[in-house]
Amino acid sequence: MNNDSFFSNDWMETQRKYWENWMAMSRKAMGVAGGSPTAPWEAALDHWWKALSPAAPDASKQFMERMMDQGKAFFKMAETFLPGANGGVDGWSAFTKTLEDMQQGFRGSVDDGGNTLHRLMAFWELPYDNWQRMVSSMSPVPGDFLRNMPHGDMQGSVDRLLSAPGLGYHREEQAQYQALMRCSIDYQKALQDYLAFNSKLGLKAVERMRSYMQDLIQSGKTIDSARAIYDNWVGCCEAVYAEEVSTPHYAELHGKLVNTQMALKHRMAVMVDENLGAMNMPTRTEIRTLQDRLQETRRENKRMRRDLHALQQQVQTLLGGEAPKSLTSGLRTALIEGPDSKKSMAAKPVAAKPATK
Amino acid sequence: MIPIDIRPDKLAEEMLDYTRKLGQGMENLLNADKIDTGVSPKHPVYKEDKLVLYRYDTPAGITPKPVPLLIVYALVNRPYMADIQEDRSTIKGLLATGQDVYLIDWGYPDGADRSLTLDDYINGYIDNCVDFIRESHGLDAINILGICQGGAFSLMYTSMHQEKVKNLVTMVTPVDFEAPGNLLASWTRAMDIDLAVDTMGNVPGELLNWTFLSLKPFSLTGQKYVNMVDLLDDPDKVKNFLRMEKWIFDSPDQAGETFRQFAKDFFQKNGFINGGVVLGDREVNLKELTCPILNIYALQDHLVPPDASRALKTLTSSSDYSELAFPGGHIGIYVSGKAQKEVTPSIGKWLNERSAA
Repeated sequence: MNNDSFFSNDWMETQRKYWENWMAMSRKAMGVAGGSPTAPWEAALDHWWKALSPAAPDASKQFMERMMDQGKAFFKMAETFLPGANGGVDGWSAFTKTLEDMQQGFRGSVDDGGNTLHRLMAFWELPYDNWQRMVSSMSPVPGDFLRNMPHGDMQGSVDRLLSAPGLGYHREEQAQYQALMRCSIDYQKALQDYLAFNSKLGLKAVERMRSYMQDLIQSGKTIDSARAIYDNWVGCCEAVYAEEVSTPHYAELHGKLVNTQMALKHRMAVMVDENLGAMNMPTRTEIRTLQDRLQETRRENKRMRRDLHALQQQVQTLLGGEAPKSLTSGLRTALIEGPDSKKSMAAKPVAAKPATK
Repeated sequence: MIPIDIRPDKLAEEMLDYTRKLGQGMENLLNADKIDTGVSPKHPVYKEDKLVLYRYDTPAGITPKPVPLLIVYALVNRPYMADIQEDRSTIKGLLATGQDVYLIDWGYPDGADRSLTLDDYINGYIDNCVDFIRESHGLDAINILGICQGGAFSLMYTSMHQEKVKNLVTMVTPVDFEAPGNLLASWTRAMDIDLAVDTMGNVPGELLNWTFLSLKPFSLTGQKYVNMVDLLDDPDKVKNFLRMEKWIFDSPDQAGETFRQFAKDFFQKNGFINGGVVLGDREVNLKELTCPILNIYALQDHLVPPDASRALKTLTSSSDYSELAFPGGHIGIYVSGKAQKEVTPSIGKWLNERSAA
């Protein structure tokens, strides 16, 4: 248990004061303006965390930052839809403009300095973010270093370059590098197709949100919290996503993304192996061959133990003696107990027992 | 009229509430004890390579039934899902019905296990565990409960060793991999499995995590953490959340050759339906399965759709086939309060009615 009283005293008190002051200012601003001023909600939350996080224990910072990221996402959502946002235009036109801005954001045709819509768009990068984390976990290079590599403009010249035959002593080496480059380009293309697919889904999710809002209007209901907007946005995104990723088209995109990643890694592994061999070090191919042979030997051993056990049983039966009982004793590395010694054996340590057959 | 009615002062209050919970949550988080994995007392009784067979202690006042129950969990994730917390434990519920429960923990395969095949797992490890339990109890046959992929393993095992299995229970087990709504199968069909396994050797748990998170990326990697903030002021709920979080990301790597065959034979070729699954020198034929079967599936399962499980009904030769539909999801069937009241007592009752030694 943590006995540090920091949270129950200083830190909690500090944040309470921070928000009391902040709310007082917010109410005052409303009174002065007599309306609903646009507030920098996300920035406020950000400032709160920046002001207080230096004092927070390191152990909790990463967790809290994750929570803050999600918190900012849903307050950002509310800020975007807040009446009075979008240059003071009110009502349905403001709401429509917000949805249009979101659509433009997904089309990549709005430049807001990465602020206003950035977090909403980032939300649709979650699938890619997951992919990136997974790729990082399997690669010595952090992140996905090929994502931003220019592709379309250089495709033609690179293709020509890669189709040039290698000559002379280094012919094979050159061919390998060409193959590696081709794999890189294939992967990059698959990745960009995957991201483009997600952007299209984002557009559809905005349409779904618009439709949902129209249903709300017809039913006479309203949304009155940031959380409700966020939850509805997640619901729209998830519904559109579920429909689209069950199509053969997505299965193909997904397959290409994984397959081109694997092809690239495979090509790299071949080249690493060749370098290891050149340094007289064991290669992965050699180790795998040994693993396969060892496993096959173990299978044969186990089969022979079983055959031997069966033969022993037959011999004992023929001799009129008691046949060996245990079939598994020759296979196991530790036998702890039988069924009748359950309680007394529970505290016994695991001890290796050599095979006796 | 715009259907959003959020006032700045209300938004400020919402933000205050969010940060208050976050602040309180950080304290609870740091005070959380070590996250335990599995809560019911158990002890190892048999070991082979990385496999450990555990036997659970029978609670005081309960006389175990004569036919023990072996739980075969999936290779994906860890088996403590079935015993995740004191008041949410499938295993505890089974013990309460008098089952003498054994569980296979597959461990964490590493590079040396890459060559393990489906045959090694099913006709090797599982068969050795079954033999050990049979010999320990002096029985010809025992009961088996297979979970998810472990259910598919149990079906294969029972069809090849019917004489050693008295009753079979399958939970959220995929049988028809082409059933509508099986996204995993749809995505896997376009993957080059050979290339992936040849490249990676073992298949990293991170790749599986990415695949599972991709089923509902916005809910599972975004909204979930916002929802968590609502739980943060309750230390018990924080601990339960962290326990589940640990389980989700506690993903062992998959032995390469086993993954290769399982993915190709089932996800791509739908082997239980179309045939052609060969283990060692024998083909799997579910028609050789004759014992009583209880097939349990979850109606809101996004990983194994109900139809994927229900397909089992016509595939075996069992004359005593029962189904239990649970109104929940793939995980809820183990951890929800409803499951503790409905699922485990039903399994216990079904087994007890069929388990005279």
